Amino acid sequence: MTAPALTVSDLSVRFPTGQRASRGAGSAVHAATDVSFALRPGRVLALVGESGCGKSVLAAALLRLLPADAVVTGRALLSTDGPAVDLLTAPGRVLRRTVRGRRVALVPQSAATALTPVRTVRAQLEETVGELTPGVDRRQRADELAIRVGLAPADLDRHPHELSGGMAQRVVTALALAGDPEVVLADEPTAGLDRPLVDRTLRLLREVADAGCAVLLITHDLGALQRSPGLVDDLAVMYASRLVETGPAGAVLAAPAHDYTRALLGALPAGGLVPIPGSPPALTDLPPGCAWHARRPDSGPCDGGGTVHVDGLRATRCRPPGGAPC
Amino acid sequence: MTLTELPAPRVDDAAPAAPRPPRVRWRAAGRLARRRLLFVVPVLVVVSGGVFAVADASPFDPLAGYLGDRYLTASEQAQARIADELGTGRPWWQQYGDWLGGLLTGDLGVSRSFGQPVAQVLAERLPWTLLLTGVSLGLAVLTALLLGTWSAARRGGWVDRVVTSTCLLLQAVPPFVIALGAVALFALGLAWLPVAGLTDAGAELTVGQVARHLVLPAAVLAASQLPWLLLNVRQSLLAALADDAVLAARARGLAESTVVLRHALPTALLPFVTLLGARLPELVVGAVLVEEVFSWPGLAQAVVTSAVELDFPLLAVLTLLTTAAVLLGSLLADVAYVLLDPRVAADG
Amino acid sequence: MADRRLRAGVVLLVLLAGYALLVPWLAGVDDRVTDFAAARQGPSWAHLFGTDSAGRDLFVRTAAGLRVSLFIAVVCALLSVLIGALVGALSAAAGGWVDRLTMRVVDGVNAVPHLLLGIVLVALFRGSLVAIIASIALTHWTQVARIVRAEVLSLRDREHVDAALLGGATRWRVVRRHLLPAALPQALVAAVLLLPHAVWHESTLSFLGLGLPPHAASLGTLLQEARSSLLLGGWWTLVFPALGLVLATLAVAAIGAALRDRAALPERAGAQL
Repeated sequence: MTAPALTVSDLSVRFPTGQRASRGAGSAVHAATDVSFALRPGRVLALVGESGCGKSVLAAALLRLLPADAVVTGRALLSTDGPAVDLLTAPGRVLRRTVRGRRVALVPQSAATALTPVRTVRAQLEETVGELTPGVDRRQRADELAIRVGLAPADLDRHPHELSGGMAQRVVTALALAGDPEVVLADEPTAGLDRPLVDRTLRLLREVADAGCAVLLITHDLGALQRSPGLVDDLAVMYASRLVETGPAGAVLAAPAHDYTRALLGALPAGGLVPIPGSPPALTDLPPGCAWHARRPDSGPCDGGGTVHVDGLRATRCRPPGGAPC
Repeated sequence: MTLTELPAPRVDDAAPAAPRPPRVRWRAAGRLARRRLLFVVPVLVVVSGGVFAVADASPFDPLAGYLGDRYLTASEQAQARIADELGTGRPWWQQYGDWLGGLLTGDLGVSRSFGQPVAQVLAERLPWTLLLTGVSLGLAVLTALLLGTWSAARRGGWVDRVVTSTCLLLQAVPPFVIALGAVALFALGLAWLPVAGLTDAGAELTVGQVARHLVLPAAVLAASQLPWLLLNVRQSLLAALADDAVLAARARGLAESTVVLRHALPTALLPFVTLLGARLPELVVGAVLVEEVFSWPGLAQAVVTSAVELDFPLLAVLTLLTTAAVLLGSLLADVAYVLLDPRVAADG
Repeated sequence: MADRRLRAGVVLLVLLAGYALLVPWLAGVDDRVTDFAAARQGPSWAHLFGTDSAGRDLFVRTAAGLRVSLFIAVVCALLSVLIGALVGALSAAAGGWVDRLTMRVVDGVNAVPHLLLGIVLVALFRGSLVAIIASIALTHWTQVARIVRAEVLSLRDREHVDAALLGGATRWRVVRRHLLPAALPQALVAAVLLLPHAVWHESTLSFLGLGLPPHAASLGTLLQEARSSLLLGGWWTLVFPALGLVLATLAVAAIGAALRDRAALPERAGAQL
């Protein structure tokens, strides 16, 4: 397997809440806790979890776009061509001038609002091209990018409100690709799209990975991944701010090791549409120990969720993958 | 709580209608202008009619206004003859009708306080008022944009704190107090600039003279309008800086100046255009006070003169003119909004 | 934040009001009495704020002027609220073309520069206190009308109003008994927001020589006097009355802004002079 482009280890994000926060008394949103994963060139890692599990915070945290009061700890080592950078500690200047858009790009959530409404799409795309890759013919490069994501160059002359949801999604993808990034973070790129468009967007990201990018696909749509095998390489399942299971997508989908992954698959049409009882905990109020077993005490043995059990390419919390209860 | 199959809001991917050419925006702006003009005319008729009605109810004899000091000495026959000539004895709506008729045929009457036809007073004074208000507005808008953008982009910094508190203080000072303070400090105390007038006494009307005399009144008028404009720019820019689109622009690796100036500011400026239209009455009020304090020979000063001397023909025309200017200004601002915001035109 | 602003505003206003009410009374002299031997003296222990061109003590006269200006402002604000509340409530309760026409009238009044209307009115009824008050009240009720109308419209559909109508109450009775009382707190906040504008308006008219006669002390007449005294070097004739005007404006504006935030009125409310 190729060397990672981005290695995230023990990433935690906390937002202090309420008035007690200013007095240092520990109330906080636990948006992400001890999250570790690696993104490799040519591969797509899908990060799935229910809404509100904290997954969307990850992309913003990696690009350091969170509000100033967020407390981020851990490491995120970018080791593509160019100097190695820890995204979480690098000076803001380095991030602005050499990382964002150029080495690590973001495909933002809700494409329609991610574009400035009063300027044409072409103006914004050409502006990004001009700033990220000075010296190229902006117009020509913008047209190339449009074609690459499946837009007609003429579509670029529209204003954002004149785009359909699918077109807006392709525009923000084109914007993300403008700086030839080595890592692409896609934050819920399929939210709000209907099924053909979801599949199309995922295929587009697959193509981006095949061209050599390392892609992180953050999504709640496990069904789409199951529908189109081979579109994603690796899978990470997040529950209540922690990753509970990671591994090759095919293997995890075929034989989920963690009870939560199994429950997620069971809730899909192919799995019988069995709803998951209870509801995910609020991130302000996580139970001590394993959050999943606090919700489903009858879901089999658990060691408290504090340790990660690794078995080859697969890893789980609570108990070893496929292994006996501990 | 299932993970996936809550039906997502469907977005139709069929491409919407082709991009709207600028022509469509102009047409939408034209429609708006026509609709608003339909409102302007009745307001003007009511306002000017109102002036006549109020004048009729006032205890002042219009003859006194017309004759001035001679009123006391004129015989009753003479008074009656003049009243007959002027038509002041008739009901106010008939006088108003005559006045409107005169207005439409270009006869605005004679101003007693200036001893000139009203039309001539307007022609002589309007350019000076336009010069003063134009320069002030330009100055205020430019400063508001520069400092407002700076304050918002460096929120909480010392520039922001100084600028914001200065504005809040300035909001509490009426224009004529700013004007008096500026005269006391810059003209009398430091003797940098002339106290009043268009030129030094006896000096010829040259560009240099006018420019020197323009500095203080223009700066004062600009300062009296600045706080509202600046705080508005700052506030809308702060809101725009929190937009998804701005966050996305920043995530793309665009320079911070590009993010602020080309993504946040264009969105933030839309409400600013409307505010400019809404602030026009205040600009007029400020101009009246500033022209009065600095003896600037413009129309706004003529408002005060005609009011103090009960110069009714001039006062009525000036009221009408000011109201029309304010209405057209806010109309212009709204039309500009339609032209600037592509989303409005799309709604038809 | 809002509370601190409110407290600061109230403290400042109480101090100013105390000064305005107590000083002329304690001084025991008529602020209008002239003494040309003592004309145009700078601040001293005998005359804390100096004297004006007629030798009147400015410490006393500023207090008297502040009192007159604040009194006129309060009367104007209350009158504006009365007109605005009635127009707004009736317009909302009537609905239909009456409501649309009323709102057009409100737009029309807003379109005319308020000071200009004031100048015309005051010029034609020179020196009359009623004309000054009327000119301010007649131009400042529109904001209140908008606020009250919006409030009444939002209340009209509530259940107890329906119940009252079904119970046979007349429309006017419903407005009087149910809708107006509910809109009252907001209308009063609007009144406080109007106060600084009324203070400005009165002082501006008097400054232009159209308001109160020059011997009657008001902040406007004092500042008009300052205009000529300034040329002779009497900076104190400007500074102290102006300070009174600005501090009063700041105090009332701070209270108004704090109350507005509490009543959750739109930011724009009261923003127009």
